[in-house]
Amino acid sequence: MDMSFFYAALGIYLISAIGYIASLLIRRVLIAKISTWIMGAAFAAHFFSFAFRFLLTGHSPVVNFYDTLSLMAWVMSGVYLGLQFKSKTRVLGAFVSPATFLLMIAASYGMSGRVAVSPILQSGLVPVHVILSVAGEALFVLASLAGAMYLMQDRLIKHKKVTSFTKFLPSLKELDRINHICLLWGFPLLTLGVLAGSIWARTAWGSHWQWDPKQVWTMLVWLIYAILLHQRLAIGWKGHKAALFSILAFLILLVSFCIETVFFRTVHNFI
Amino acid sequence: MNIILIGMNHKTAPLEIRERLTLACAEGVDPIAEIMKIPQIEEALYLATCNRVEVVAKTADAAESIERLKDFIFRQGNLAAEELEQYLYLYRDHEAVRHLFRVTASLDSLVMGEPQILGQVKDAFRKTVENNASGIILNKILHHAFRTAKRVRTETEIAENAVSVSYAAVELAKKIFGSLEGKTILIVGAGEMSELAARHLIHQGVDRILVANRTYARALKMAEDFHGTAIEFDHLGKKLQEADIVISSTGALHFVITAEMVAAALRRRKNRLLFLIDIAVPRDVEPQAGEIDNVYLYNIDNLQTIVDENLKTRKKAAEKAEAIIEEEVLKYEQWQSTLELVPTIVSLKEKLTAIVQGEMEKSNAWMQNLNEEDKKNVAIMVNAIINKIVHQPIAGLKEESLNGSAMPYAAALRRLFRLDGNDV
Repeated sequence: MDMSFFYAALGIYLISAIGYIASLLIRRVLIAKISTWIMGAAFAAHFFSFAFRFLLTGHSPVVNFYDTLSLMAWVMSGVYLGLQFKSKTRVLGAFVSPATFLLMIAASYGMSGRVAVSPILQSGLVPVHVILSVAGEALFVLASLAGAMYLMQDRLIKHKKVTSFTKFLPSLKELDRINHICLLWGFPLLTLGVLAGSIWARTAWGSHWQWDPKQVWTMLVWLIYAILLHQRLAIGWKGHKAALFSILAFLILLVSFCIETVFFRTVHNFI
Repeated sequence: MNIILIGMNHKTAPLEIRERLTLACAEGVDPIAEIMKIPQIEEALYLATCNRVEVVAKTADAAESIERLKDFIFRQGNLAAEELEQYLYLYRDHEAVRHLFRVTASLDSLVMGEPQILGQVKDAFRKTVENNASGIILNKILHHAFRTAKRVRTETEIAENAVSVSYAAVELAKKIFGSLEGKTILIVGAGEMSELAARHLIHQGVDRILVANRTYARALKMAEDFHGTAIEFDHLGKKLQEADIVISSTGALHFVITAEMVAAALRRRKNRLLFLIDIAVPRDVEPQAGEIDNVYLYNIDNLQTIVDENLKTRKKAAEKAEAIIEEEVLKYEQWQSTLELVPTIVSLKEKLTAIVQGEMEKSNAWMQNLNEEDKKNVAIMVNAIINKIVHQPIAGLKEESLNGSAMPYAAALRRLFRLDGNDV
């Protein structure tokens, strides 16, 4: 049951991604509007896949690496839909929906069967740690997407290349706001996620901190985001610089993630 | 069907001629009432704007009406016939419908795609309705024209993109700030263009206006006009930090706003975005200011380039719009051709009803034996048979009319059923 909802969600995300991109290409808002509703349906189906998995297995639906990708996709689409509901920034959907779909494709590779979950990972704090961290990172993905769109729009306006694409992208102010909101929410979520993890580590492994490569890299990323948020709130970093920095921070997050997956064996590899 | 359209527009007649017509009409004369006094005219629409005067009429006798309409127009303009004749154009039937569709869709406007004309045509039509000068034909044409205009507006880019420098500035401001509500605008120097841009921005919700001028008295005067605040010219650097949008058009020969001033202002305003519009020649704002992060600097040439590009887009959109117009004219023609069948269908039905009536009367003798209920049932049955029989040919006739080939069938029907009298 959970798997059929998962594949349904995957398929519906694809339809909405195609709709969004089509609306961008032929410049029809109506298609984007319909795509938003389709994405809402995918979001709901995706939710049911998590809910059924939880009901069927009795433990957190997010246990392995592939589950976290799926969760990330779900949070991203949820946040996007929330933003869309509050302010009309449909064009962001053309960036979010393909990203969501690709995450789902990646997630589907590990979705073939249910894995046995070791008892050590069934402690109440592990799902909290995983869900909060992934949600925080999903918001960072959105922040960097908004940042990328900001840089595009900024470049177009700055260099006086005002094309119909400029018209289609949201205003600089709006993109900066989305970037800001995502950082503002993503950072505390990641912080709480890390804290939950370290509290759990104390009970399971005996200490809060193991100098595990994944922990070190995460700490680095956390620090970079802390600096970014500080600059934004206290120094008044806005617009171009903030957008650029949030993309860089996300790239570091991505690179660190790849490095540790490929080169290190860490206590975080549970797959 | 006799539909005629006589008019003149910005292409055919100079301003002073158009002016005379519109002015004359403003002086308490009700043009529709005047036009409807012409006996052959059954329905009429009178449209007068600063760029055109158009009279659309449905008439029983085109040739006669045209002469009398022209007379009316000459009288209005107080002009000699020969003088005015050269400015007029005349369209008939489908040509007239097409022209009206193009006018309403703003394809015939001085600035193609401008939004006012649709409202003006609507107003003109309201006057027609108020004067009882509209009938089935004008009603249909006008509603069709409104629908066509809406299609053109939504399906093409004709009304998108600014085609004036001041409006291009407003669109840019919106792409930078989103909503302009709560924003502050600083006007440096005076000038027609900067005032126009400022008015556009205020219209979009900019609520705080600062005015700076070398002559403080002038700044005060302008500030009063805009309900803004005058500032000392020497305080420009300091006040720059309060502004989100700056419009500069002084006659100064050197830079009034330097890159250094902008950089300092930006630091003080915590990097909030700043949009500088420099419409002065020679330029007021040092070009290097535009290279600072979060500062967007546009000079008059930059804005003009955008306008030129947008005009090109509009031209392309116009081609698509013309295709829509053709499509809609064709639809109208189809409607009109079914309309031409109406007299035939009506007289056919009348004839059949008369036959039924006659036969029912003849049958009165034996029907007396029936009770009321059965009499009614017989009448219902006979009518049902008649309707069934004529349903197919009428539907077929309407179908043919869509290809414009119904008239021979209609003629055959009239002859076979002897609808034009002389029963054998």
